[in-house]
Amino acid sequence: MAPGEFRLRVRYGKIGRLRHLSHLEVIHAIERGARRADLPYAVTRGFNPHMKLAFGPALPVATAGLSEYFDIWLTRYMPAEETLNRLAGAMPPDLTPVSSGYVGDDLPSLSAACNIALYEMRIEREDLDRGTFAKALDAVVRSGELTVQRKGKTKVFDLARSLSKEPRVSVDQTGVVVELAVRMGQEGSLRPEALVGAALSRMDAEGAAIAVTRIDTLIEDEKGCARPL
Amino acid sequence: MTSSLWERIEPLLSRVERPARYIDSEWGAHRDSDASYRAALLYPDTYEVGMANQAIAILYDRLNAVDGVAAERVYLPWVDMAEQMRTQSVPLFTLETCAAVASCDLLGITLPYELTYSNILEALDLAGIPLRAADRSDADPLVVGGGPCAFNPEPIAPFFDAILVGEGEDAALEIVAAHRAAREQGYSREATLKELSRIPGVYVPALYSPNESGQGASALVAQAGAPEVVTKRVVADLGAYDTPTCPVVPFMDVVHDRVGVEVLRGCTRGCRFCQAGMVYRPVRERSADQIVREALAGIRCTGYDELSLTSLSTTDHSQLEEVMRRLTRRLEGTGISVSLPSLRVDAFSVSMARLVGGGRKSGLTFAPEAGTQRLRDVINKNVTEQDLLDTVSSAFTSGWRRVKLYFMIGLPTETDEDIEGIGRLVSKVFRAAREATPPQQRGGIRVGVSVSTFVPKAHTPFGFDGQISYHEVLRRQQVLRDSMPKKGIDLAYHDAQVSLLEGVMARGGRELADGIEAAWRGGARFDAWTEQFDLGLWTTALESVGLDPHAIATRSFDRGEPTPWGHISSGVGEGYLWHERERAFAGETTEDCSFDDCTGCGVCGDSGLGVDIVLGGERRGSR
Ligand code: SF4
Repeated sequence: MAPGEFRLRVRYGKIGRLRHLSHLEVIHAIERGARRADLPYAVTRGFNPHMKLAFGPALPVATAGLSEYFDIWLTRYMPAEETLNRLAGAMPPDLTPVSSGYVGDDLPSLSAACNIALYEMRIEREDLDRGTFAKALDAVVRSGELTVQRKGKTKVFDLARSLSKEPRVSVDQTGVVVELAVRMGQEGSLRPEALVGAALSRMDAEGAAIAVTRIDTLIEDEKGCARPL
Repeated sequence: MTSSLWERIEPLLSRVERPARYIDSEWGAHRDSDASYRAALLYPDTYEVGMANQAIAILYDRLNAVDGVAAERVYLPWVDMAEQMRTQSVPLFTLETCAAVASCDLLGITLPYELTYSNILEALDLAGIPLRAADRSDADPLVVGGGPCAFNPEPIAPFFDAILVGEGEDAALEIVAAHRAAREQGYSREATLKELSRIPGVYVPALYSPNESGQGASALVAQAGAPEVVTKRVVADLGAYDTPTCPVVPFMDVVHDRVGVEVLRGCTRGCRFCQAGMVYRPVRERSADQIVREALAGIRCTGYDELSLTSLSTTDHSQLEEVMRRLTRRLEGTGISVSLPSLRVDAFSVSMARLVGGGRKSGLTFAPEAGTQRLRDVINKNVTEQDLLDTVSSAFTSGWRRVKLYFMIGLPTETDEDIEGIGRLVSKVFRAAREATPPQQRGGIRVGVSVSTFVPKAHTPFGFDGQISYHEVLRRQQVLRDSMPKKGIDLAYHDAQVSLLEGVMARGGRELADGIEAAWRGGARFDAWTEQFDLGLWTTALESVGLDPHAIATRSFDRGEPTPWGHISSGVGEGYLWHERERAFAGETTEDCSFDDCTGCGVCGDSGLGVDIVLGGERRGSR
């Protein structure tokens, strides 16, 4: 960070129809939103100057997020509340800024710091029994390992490491809801659909649509777990 | 915004590529569920191609400004989505309110290039609208076309209720107003179409039938009441219209992902192969003040980091230098860049590009079009070899390391000598680039050479002459390859099969409609996409209805012989076109009337269009 710049952290949601956006599409939309909001953003030096902006861990296409983050560097101080109001007026409705605040220059990047993701998954299948599903999921978790095939590659996840706490299965009027806490890391993180999918296939119910929402993105260290903002 | 149709669309999104094509919700989109009149504006290709279209952005803006009218965007779903929609019985829908297109009052379809014709049928079918105008009932939307291909509308005429020839700023509003009034009066579809045919520039195909006598300029004759010749619409003063400064800002990467300000319309350089140059006359510039104001407003409203000053020949704008200086000053330090679409081959263009680029020196593009001076004179492309070499030198001296050159093969009077001339010219360009580049950087020099096959277009001096045969194209491409230097040169040329189909569609008449329908039924769609294009399918389809594609593409017309587009006028007189053709074959060039005297093309005077050249200042010297 250049001297005289201010590092603003913004928490936002990616919901509704906009959960179908890719991470790159979200980045572009936020860049454009920040320009429309007329934030005093800093620009990188060099041949191809662009807005100084850094994002937290990517959300895949079709996954919604309630607690996503980006950092933007400003060339002058503007009250956090004003940045939030300006952004709120300049973003498409389902890409909503929730809060903003200044953070220290010395903090590690969001993508390096955020290491826990909390997911809520709704299984869109009316005839699914909560109890049977909970047992199947438990069996998968107990097996200790999950092998995932993606884009022709095979990856084996150590579930004791990948899951930061026990999954919770509940039921509401829309159907079965699963809550998962997944550890994120450089080596690639477990996609929560893979775990739920494995449970479903144990009960021969694969193919059910799963609506995934990342409800929180957290930083865990020696002192415990906290939100980035 | 949520409608029951959306609930059926959403589950399909996880099964298709690029769902962002279908989700709407973009910044700048107008959503009005209460409007009493709904117009669906379709670009007959994918979202990412269609979002670049400025004409739709203009009409979207203007129609949405009308009380009670909602204009909504529609793009053709990619094949994966179309398949899902068909299996799930989801009809073609508008993005903004997710309305079924068939439930709209009007379906406006852009006609951007010939290779979208099968897509038009695909869209109508997905919408559940009868393909042929003759089969539609009062319950179906009015299907209206418009755009560059309206200047030879016949191949697709039977699929349209009406086609607008020329500029739509005012005409689109008049069409909607006439349609609303006709409905209020309880007019039948037939009576409504008669009303529409009274609007200048509107062509109602059903009111024209084959000219059995074979006399006159046109292959079709008008029924009583319809104009014998439909003359294009044109706005007299572009400056009187606002640029859409808050267009829809897409989420996904689209072609030309930037805000555009159209700095001028029309080009009178007079290149004899160029349909745009002939049909969009006269030249009308916006003033520097308006351009700068709208450019800044566009950036503010969209949040784009790139601004494009668009037109057929932006560097001809009489105040471009002033515009560029003001914009670069205002945008300094914002990371926002300005781009110029096409550059003239001259030092001024390079100096403008230098202002634009700042540090970015990705590549410059020039279009000498032909390889020898003789042929450049024939086509009236007033660029000399020395102009090109000087321009390239100055670009490479300024730090550029890449240029791209556009050429054509198959131009009238072309010989192998002219094609070999392309190779020779490219070698000289490469040498000029080397000499202007410090030795240690010479390894990075690239010269891109893109060679298309000439398609003779309606309403141009070369429109009377047939396209060269398919086999001749292949032979000339071989001559081209043999004459092209290899080192540092990236040669690309258009697929001869695609050019043949373009020639067929550009030159044929109404008889082609059966062939287009047969091809679509045989599976043709997205013909502009290499992986989807299949000439065999088209040939089979055309032959199945008794048409020979080669004969259509290569057909020439004698003076006085009716052409399929004789009932459509661009305002440029047919006599002028023949005169220009004669001058071409005599190797005589014609001046640009925006720099020199009137060349008598007829648009400003005889056409009755009431237009004249509008310049913001004095154009920079005569050529
Ligand atoms: S310069 Fe020539 S090719 Fe370009 S738009 Fe004008 S007439 Fe057409």
